Amino acid sequence: MLDAFIQGLFVVFEWQTFLIMLLGIFLGFWVGLLPGLGGSTTLALMLPFIYKMSPVEAFAFLLGMHSVVSTTGDITSVLFGVPGEGTTAATILDGHAMAKKGEAGRALGAALMSSLIGALVGAFALALAIPVVRPLVLSFGAPELFMLAVVGIAFISSLSGQGGRALLRGFLAGLLGLLFSLVGQDPQAGVQRFTFSQLYLWGGLDLVPVLVGLFAVPEIVDLAIRGTSIAGELPQGNLGRGAWEGVKDTFRHFWLTIRCSLIGTFIGIMPGLGGGVAQWIAYGHAVQSAQDANERSGFGKGDVRGVLGPGAANNSKEGGALIPTIAFGVPGSSAMAILLGAFFMQGLMPGPDMLDKHLTLTFSMVWTMVIANTVTVVLSFFLLNQLAKLTMVPGSILIPFILFLAFIGSYTSNNHLGDLVVFLFFGFLGYLMIRSSWPRAPLVLGFVLGRIAENNFYISTIRYGPSWLLRPVVIILIVLTLLVIVYPLLRFRKGRQAAEEEPT
Amino acid sequence: MKGFLNSRSFLALAGGMIAGYALYASLHWPFKTALFPRVVGIPLLALSLFELVLCMAGVEPEREGHAVDFELAKDIAPGLARRRTVAIFSWIFGFFVLILLCGFPLAVPLFVFLYLRLAGKHGWVLTLLLTLLSWFTMEGLFNRLLHLPFPDGWIFSLWG
Repeated sequence: MLDAFIQGLFVVFEWQTFLIMLLGIFLGFWVGLLPGLGGSTTLALMLPFIYKMSPVEAFAFLLGMHSVVSTTGDITSVLFGVPGEGTTAATILDGHAMAKKGEAGRALGAALMSSLIGALVGAFALALAIPVVRPLVLSFGAPELFMLAVVGIAFISSLSGQGGRALLRGFLAGLLGLLFSLVGQDPQAGVQRFTFSQLYLWGGLDLVPVLVGLFAVPEIVDLAIRGTSIAGELPQGNLGRGAWEGVKDTFRHFWLTIRCSLIGTFIGIMPGLGGGVAQWIAYGHAVQSAQDANERSGFGKGDVRGVLGPGAANNSKEGGALIPTIAFGVPGSSAMAILLGAFFMQGLMPGPDMLDKHLTLTFSMVWTMVIANTVTVVLSFFLLNQLAKLTMVPGSILIPFILFLAFIGSYTSNNHLGDLVVFLFFGFLGYLMIRSSWPRAPLVLGFVLGRIAENNFYISTIRYGPSWLLRPVVIILIVLTLLVIVYPLLRFRKGRQAAEEEPT
Repeated sequence: MKGFLNSRSFLALAGGMIAGYALYASLHWPFKTALFPRVVGIPLLALSLFELVLCMAGVEPEREGHAVDFELAKDIAPGLARRRTVAIFSWIFGFFVLILLCGFPLAVPLFVFLYLRLAGKHGWVLTLLLTLLSWFTMEGLFNRLLHLPFPDGWIFSLWG
């Protein structure tokens, strides 16, 4: 196995493979930066080009491209408040808030470094998990996936903010998100729900226009109201030093970064949870890491931990998602489903052969992820000064371009004008939520987890009856759900007690 | 009454109405289809009404707590902020109408030109340069390179 591990590194460094990987990285770099281009779409567009490549070259190209998309997507999220990718929306909450405070360099440094650590954790999880992943994945059936979705939904209590009223609004936002996730054809009986006789809505609301509207429009409105650049009149200071501060932040909160990377890897491994989930659960966990109510109130307004958590998770999930794809041919996300197509195009069959006969190829994928992310992060650090200067460009120049990218980004998710209506609706809703102090993160969490919860609930009930509630992993997850709900409340109460006891 | 006429009350009311509609619609569905909308709709309706009552009662802001989210700029005069908000939403909606009427390839440079010239009040050189850049990105990247299927604008469809 060690031989294959080392051999995997050497094959990636063969000059032709390495050049092809660099080409993939170059494409992925821009795909991540531009909100109009999705990682999965580009992966599909690039499939025809791998026919003439060897398997190592093909996966160096595709994985080199795909594994850096989230890294550069974070850059767009931080600088413009528009999610570069659907999987980088959570970075906006604190990353863009930091950019508005004149700390774009620090936010980018933190996002890039945590992305690199996340990618390394994901890649090494892939390498280590190869022999042991089978029992883990097989122990997760529909009941466990349902409970995992419930654990995710329980994070609403962490993402809501402090105080009873904030919690009430957080739950309202989460419930609205759950309701929006139910739009479309009911998977049980095929009945249309909330489709208003529109064919476009049969498949449900797409995540991309929902996220772009919810996050980009309020930021554009805020930029227009302020009438300045993103960073306003604030001095930017030395961007390089700011970025270095962001790198140091990653190591100051090293265990948080590692924990969020592991969350991302775990969610990536679980087929069917999707790429959008990991970042939000990691963000919820980062909020939970706040020591007291005062610290917690800084989240959403520019706390670097809110950048580190999702930054690490959205990269580490890629390594995790590759595990079931390679080991069982079960793709964990739409991008992995496309990658599965690449296996068949190359005449490879995912499964035991990939862990035995083609082990060198499997390890070359691990190395591709490591090298691609390292190259991208180093390159991004070189471009950081130029990138962060964009926050000094007057809003009146940026707004038409951000709107252009937001509209086109929404449209390309289904190539349907209905996407633009969804974008506008959620844009207005996002603005109203910000005006009314309703948190947006719980809405997104409810939206991404609603369908998963419903589908797996029915499968569990049909397959096992009520006995699924007694499965050991389900019981553990029920306990975890209770902990996730109760922990922030206890912490809030403890903080309030401490504040009351403090001598005035 | 003043407490009722704000975005918070409007949002709470909207949440209640959406929940009410969801529950009403679910009356016509089989049990399995209706279960989740009801499980979500009932607490959404109850909590929305509760929030609405709190808004109408005018609970003091300091008891409301902080949302984990950003806040809109507060250092701008309310009248000016309102005017700018209406203006930017008009531009956003106007861009959408332009896309419907002219199609993406024409609407994008047209919008960038109009926004830079009318809202940004930038000079001709910068406006034309950035318009050209937007056209190049739209035409070169999205249209020619990626072959994204952009529908024709309604104006061109009418002309046949």
